[in-house]
Amino acid sequence: MAAGLKTVILLSFVLAVGFLLIILSCALWANWLPLLVAITFVVAPLPNALFSHCGSDDFSGSYEPTGAVDLGRFFTSLIVVTGFAFPIVLAHSGVINTSACAMSIVGGGLVYGTILSYSQAFSQSEDSDFE
Amino acid sequence: MSLPRSNYDPRRVCLNPFPDLHLGKYRRTVGVYLAGALFAIGNFVFFDAAVYSAHARVPWGVDPPVHVTFVDWVPGICSILGYLVVNLIDKDRIKGDEGFGDSRAVWRARLFLFIGFALMAGGLAGSVTVLVLKYVLSDYAEMFKYYGYANVTQNLLLMISAAFLWMAQSTSGEYEYNLTL
Repeated sequence: MAAGLKTVILLSFVLAVGFLLIILSCALWANWLPLLVAITFVVAPLPNALFSHCGSDDFSGSYEPTGAVDLGRFFTSLIVVTGFAFPIVLAHSGVINTSACAMSIVGGGLVYGTILSYSQAFSQSEDSDFE
Repeated sequence: MSLPRSNYDPRRVCLNPFPDLHLGKYRRTVGVYLAGALFAIGNFVFFDAAVYSAHARVPWGVDPPVHVTFVDWVPGICSILGYLVVNLIDKDRIKGDEGFGDSRAVWRARLFLFIGFALMAGGLAGSVTVLVLKYVLSDYAEMFKYYGYANVTQNLLLMISAAFLWMAQSTSGEYEYNLTL
């Protein structure tokens, strides 16, 4: 059980830094469009969380993922790429500043990495007896 | 002197050097993630061109001579429709196994698959058409050709994404002994 109290504190600290970067990238230039990046990355794990239960249950006995699981993965990847590409598109056409673009990308990456590592660290202990 | 035994079937004329990725059981997952990423990248390349066109300022004039209009959106819409049609078809229906429904279902599935691929190829051809007719043949400045190239890139990436999704969903079926199709 490596995931303890220190992990929770570290992850919440990183999450706060990520949101701080995104909000700073909005507030420093008084242009609140990069806030959509935060919403995108918060929504990103949702399709996998929804569709992963549509796969094989305990009684089917096959490891073959179904179409619903694939759809969830497809949408997850779509949303993650959207979160990274959206500030680049905005910065390219001059709607937001270039440094605001970099800050919101780094902040979004921190937020999404926090979500990923949190689910990795705390769902491992439940799934490990199936391996 | 004899030649060493080749490790392939010598009767095959066209040997397809397909890279044999040993991703194991993660092949399907990686393929689906990659397909989604390519889909998003392709669409965002075109959205970038559209947003850039809407905010374009020409340094030497007041108004840029050409914009991304609805004509530029049509090939991408065709490609996405074809993408949906191709991926909504059950892959087992196309192989036409015996005892799997009637033969007319196989015929109809192949017809819809053909329609889907025709829509995707039509989208790609349409994007090239828009690039040539709207941007290359008319004497706009070089920076406006980016709109046409972004359109072609979008449709190409959609096709590659569909190919990745097809391979990811068809290779790992039945424990990887039907690599053809």
